[in-house]
Amino acid sequence: MRNILTCAALALALSSGSALAQSGEISIWSWNIAASSLKSTVAGFNKQFPDVKVTVEDLGNQQTFDKMLAGCAAGGVGLPDIISVENHESEIFWSQFPDCFADLKTLGYTDEIAAKFPDFKRTELEVNGKAYAMPWDSGPVAMFYRRDFYEKAGIDPASIKSWDDFIAAGKKLQEANSGVTMTQADINGDSEFFRMIANEQGCGYFAADGQSITVNQPGCVTALETVKKLKDAGLLIAGTWDEKIQANKAGTVATQMYGGWYEGTIRSTAPDMAGKWGVYQMPSASADGPRAANLGGSALAISASSQNKEAAWAYVNYTLGTNEGQVTMLKDFGLVPSLLTALDDPYVKEALPYWGGQAVWVDILSTLPNVKPSRGTPFFQDADKILVATQLKYLNGEFADAKAALDEVANQVAGATGLPIAQ
Amino acid sequence: MRLRTRTAYAFLTPYMLIFLAFWIWPIINSFYLSFLNTRSANWTFNPQVTWGRLLVDPAFSNALWNTLIILIIQVPIMIALAIVLASLLNSPMLKARGLFRFAFFAPVVVGEVAYAAMFRLMFNEFGIVNKFGVSAGLPSVSWFSDPTAAMAVIIIAVTWRWAGYNAIIILAGLQSIPDDVYEAATLDGVSKLRQFFFITLPLLKPVILLCVVLSVIGTMQLFAEPFLITNRGGPGQETETLGLFLYRMGFNTFNFGYASAIAYTIAALAIAISLLNLWLGKERTQ
Repeated sequence: MRNILTCAALALALSSGSALAQSGEISIWSWNIAASSLKSTVAGFNKQFPDVKVTVEDLGNQQTFDKMLAGCAAGGVGLPDIISVENHESEIFWSQFPDCFADLKTLGYTDEIAAKFPDFKRTELEVNGKAYAMPWDSGPVAMFYRRDFYEKAGIDPASIKSWDDFIAAGKKLQEANSGVTMTQADINGDSEFFRMIANEQGCGYFAADGQSITVNQPGCVTALETVKKLKDAGLLIAGTWDEKIQANKAGTVATQMYGGWYEGTIRSTAPDMAGKWGVYQMPSASADGPRAANLGGSALAISASSQNKEAAWAYVNYTLGTNEGQVTMLKDFGLVPSLLTALDDPYVKEALPYWGGQAVWVDILSTLPNVKPSRGTPFFQDADKILVATQLKYLNGEFADAKAALDEVANQVAGATGLPIAQ
Repeated sequence: MRLRTRTAYAFLTPYMLIFLAFWIWPIINSFYLSFLNTRSANWTFNPQVTWGRLLVDPAFSNALWNTLIILIIQVPIMIALAIVLASLLNSPMLKARGLFRFAFFAPVVVGEVAYAAMFRLMFNEFGIVNKFGVSAGLPSVSWFSDPTAAMAVIIIAVTWRWAGYNAIIILAGLQSIPDDVYEAATLDGVSKLRQFFFITLPLLKPVILLCVVLSVIGTMQLFAEPFLITNRGGPGQETETLGLFLYRMGFNTFNFGYASAIAYTIAALAIAISLLNLWLGKERTQ
């Protein structure tokens, strides 16, 4: 009897002890909305772990990547306890610096917890039997549009099913709203439109196993052709991340295509525009083609050099592994949970006043099951930079057609990575 | 005597150690790295994917080409501008000389990030440059989308930043030319313009050569402007310089071996161009 009591007391002490014992300071690197959303879960986390002080540093997306590589190259010097990393960019870290990150399995990331996330989020994060990072959010693509501009031109967004529909609508819209451009893409420095449409059409830079180059396959050719069609029709102008936000606020753009997480960006950077924005599904190559794609989506990793891994894990597990943490980030900043149970939260079905009473999450998340995986591989940066440079040349008319441009991309990627081009 | 030498070396040791650890060792190690395939962990000896790739990589020849374009267009314009500026600053008719000298030198003192941000604002779609251009009847230019225009912005920015600096160096050269040379010429009835071309310029040649060498080395390493002003060598890679390409290969794709090969190539080019300059300088004394 006494034995059982001691055991029970011990078990109790152990289970609550792990929560009580966490104290000290942990720091996190992240960017933009993602950083803000991490800050938003700290209050809830501190209710359970009052002695852990969490500091979130917003470095910007590229800076986080750059400083993380530099820190890992320096053997982990100067890294924070927790690092944010985008899924498609993450594999270069595990492949070049396998010892820079803590294996989350040793900290309490069990197979049961991991199973709560979709496979397409996990494949890049769990390599060589180690779990380097925990899935955070995903980015089902949606069209964010200005209701007033569309209405003025008499366009019903539900009728836009193909990119040809989108182009016809865009021409009407620009005629009816002077000074407004249909959409914006960062064609001078990024490839987000190409990647979204290619993913929708089932194509990516690399094959699913990461062992061959697929960038010149038909789905990708369609994607590149679509970008050029949009630009040649005068419906797409160049805009970086910041310039898109400026255009949103200035009311000079009618549509932004992005991952679902852009919901929070619009809502928090243009709070006074409530009721003016809406969401519809991305168009496809044909009227009955696939309309689901994913862009972005990140994960959190814990650095091997962290002095307080247990506290860091406690925070990561609370923020990403509980409905409370994930839904807080969804509500406050529109980060789409990759924790599947969080998608059943009542908030997801709510009509949102900012979006003119539309239940945007129902529309955005309904595409999630149809998203095809697109593997980043350690060579994502190599391939992406080559695509960006060639895309610009193609848009400026330096290639006969999209296939020729993408053949050139494939050749250059093969030279840079040593991988074969898929037949 | 021996003790004194030993003491001297003892004092030098801390510096020499740091020099060895942070200069000599990386230089040697990066030469070794330049022969390795570093595309993923477990680096192996394979110069074909570093030195071999240099020969066939369009991205490398693009960066080299961009750097040479800036070199060939920007350096002569800037040096010519600096000579004109220096002559004007040297004019006895100029009032508030100190103020002007400082004003033209000031751009060098301004932080790179601040000045880059200013240039991005001035040249953006709604910036002051387009405002003036349109009101003067010129078409509006999207400076950061058009490859040629973006290159022009880089050249204008670098020239703005360094012309005054070179002018001050040339001004020092101008002031070392003795007045009696000009006096004699004036007595012989040589016009001011001819004096400039036949006295000032030849006597300035060593100083100008110094400015050219410094500018060439600076351009070979050009990084901050295309990184900050044209957003990492944009549009696409149309303003990507060798320095930027090296950085991208090293710190974005973490291909250290290839980056090392690029670094050695840049160094070799800089040495070659410096030797060319030395050879040009030698000719002058004969």
